[in-house]
Amino acid sequence: MGYNALRLLKEGLTGNKGWQPVWRDPAPKDAYDIVIIGGGGHGLATAYYLAREHGLRNVAVLEKGYLGGGNVGRNTTIVRANYAMPGNSEFYSHSLKLWEGLERELNYNVMHSQRGLIDLFHSDDQRDAYVRGGNAMINQGDDAVLLDRDEVRDRLPYLDFDNARFPIHGALLHPRGGTARHDAVAWGYARAADRRGVDLIQQCEVTGIDVEGGKVQGVTTTRGVIRARKVAIVTAGRSGQVAAMAGLRLPVESHVLQAFVTEGLKPIIDHVVIFGMGHFYISQSDKGGLVFGGDLDGYASYAQRGNLPTAEHVMEAAMALMPVVGQARVLRSWGGIMDMTPDGSPIIDRTGIEGLYLDCGWCYGGFKATPASGFALAHLLATDRPHDTAARFRLDRFRDGVGLMDEEGTGAQHKLH
Amino acid sequence: MRLTCPLCGERDLREFSYTGDAVLCERPAPEAGPEAWDAYLHLRENPAGVARDLWHHGAGCSAWLVVTRDTVTHAVIAVALADAP
Amino acid sequence: MVRLVARTAAGGALPQTIGGLTLAEHLPEAITAVMPFDGQEGAVSDDMGMPFPAPGRTSEADGALAIWAGRHLALVLGAPPRSSHGAISDQSDAWAVFDLTGPGGAEALARLCPVDTRAAQFPPGHTARSLLGHVHASITRLKDDRLRIMVPRSMAHTAIHDLTRAMGHALRSQSAG
Repeated sequence: MGYNALRLLKEGLTGNKGWQPVWRDPAPKDAYDIVIIGGGGHGLATAYYLAREHGLRNVAVLEKGYLGGGNVGRNTTIVRANYAMPGNSEFYSHSLKLWEGLERELNYNVMHSQRGLIDLFHSDDQRDAYVRGGNAMINQGDDAVLLDRDEVRDRLPYLDFDNARFPIHGALLHPRGGTARHDAVAWGYARAADRRGVDLIQQCEVTGIDVEGGKVQGVTTTRGVIRARKVAIVTAGRSGQVAAMAGLRLPVESHVLQAFVTEGLKPIIDHVVIFGMGHFYISQSDKGGLVFGGDLDGYASYAQRGNLPTAEHVMEAAMALMPVVGQARVLRSWGGIMDMTPDGSPIIDRTGIEGLYLDCGWCYGGFKATPASGFALAHLLATDRPHDTAARFRLDRFRDGVGLMDEEGTGAQHKLH
Repeated sequence: MRLTCPLCGERDLREFSYTGDAVLCERPAPEAGPEAWDAYLHLRENPAGVARDLWHHGAGCSAWLVVTRDTVTHAVIAVALADAP
Repeated sequence: MVRLVARTAAGGALPQTIGGLTLAEHLPEAITAVMPFDGQEGAVSDDMGMPFPAPGRTSEADGALAIWAGRHLALVLGAPPRSSHGAISDQSDAWAVFDLTGPGGAEALARLCPVDTRAAQFPPGHTARSLLGHVHASITRLKDDRLRIMVPRSMAHTAIHDLTRAMGHALRSQSAG
């Protein structure tokens, strides 16, 4: 079924009665080769790449609510590949390349907009750090451009350049960075996976993971027992609870990250802009709302909402950087639940249980990672070998201390990343 | 969310900082081995529900506190001095 | 020989009067931190000549004021106490001390501090460690119309800026109300 202006007009005039569901609503079968727990962006992408890259179609995605109802719809939609450390660098680089071909591949408009991401720096030291980061991006084959103060002013005239505390010295521009329409990513992957024969089963909550003799047998769900040779846990935000069903304890603590959106405004912010002093980032959605966020609230939470001090801090940072936003009214705020790991980097790996796989610990990086996470997990599920781009996302790196990827160098505390 | 400090009374959240699960109060012996240290530093129960965690009343009396609270509702159930017997 | 001139924390920026409120610098003879050793609060109290203050309270003797300032910690404003039962350190130049005098001091403070300092909740003799804007502070009610505010000396001018601004806001909302 195509989406076009003529079709929209016709359906609009006839009560929108002609739209058909774009994916099936199958009942769960007794058994699958592979069961993916979690119908969010990563789970759906995994199912799609299993079918497309590896020809594996006897696959089910189990979702306790509705597809894309979790973190894939609760983020600030930023897509970027500006990591510096081996491991993250090649992975997010691969992800951005997948993003760039995604709409054509899925034949679905995910509104991927490479409007450029501008990381501001405010001191000479910070400039040095950003130059180093930019060089790492270029070495990885990605793009980075150092902007001086006047070049920033040309692009972002609305910033407070003369702020006495946080003067703007320049910025690192990542031209291929940008945003995408978050729900559409889930829907696009869902439609494409469904068309390749994957069963997307909603309202199906996993209540147990069946393990015998150290080998996974399947899962118990609210819609019956489903046997499977392989089971993947792709439930970032709830990873700990699902992994506990198999007796696993993860190096993950769940934290709430707030985001905010204003009423719709005329176009003012053409890029993704990131404040270098005080955690604050902002972009403007195609509807006109300013979408922005800041730091974690800083305590373990599953509440999907935060508290006032962090909201206040984010607003203060906004006012320090771009006083012009003080005129905008905040429409909504919400919280997403982050799987925070002790080094701030994710996990895509096997577990100690044969046939049980883990994709979790995405910290703030989950949305932009969606294509590459699905790609790498599909590779691991199909071949039992990690994909080259995700080989460093090992579960055991915390225990042995080898291969930690602490981008910010903040140490082994979950909340610090 | 407000916390009732045993010394200062009910206070705004911004006076406190969170450190992590109260398991941090049970440091293993130096020679306990990598499994014990991995469990202490990294692995977490991470409950969706009642949790015990460690907070510091940094902008107040500077006491370390063990807070029992619900991570789903943000309800605070109990606050005690971390070194209380 | 160079002659050094001692400057106070406020350095001449105070007093300032806005509406009925006056913010003035207070210069105690000394500020001394007293931290009793384990279980020695009684002995320290004997040496101080007044009870070591309970959490959230002050005590007074012979013109010296002891302000509870955190767990196992009091700051004595006045003649330095002596005791071998606790850790005593001179902090005279570490703090800026301000007195906010006049009706409606708590209403002005409410703009900066998340603790309710109105007299009904916070009568004379009560003290709190809390925040003044982003700055850690000690706030004490001395009298019905007088609050004493202490911040680290390096934050003195930030505190003066924030407090005088809050006094102005309080005045404007008073006259608007």
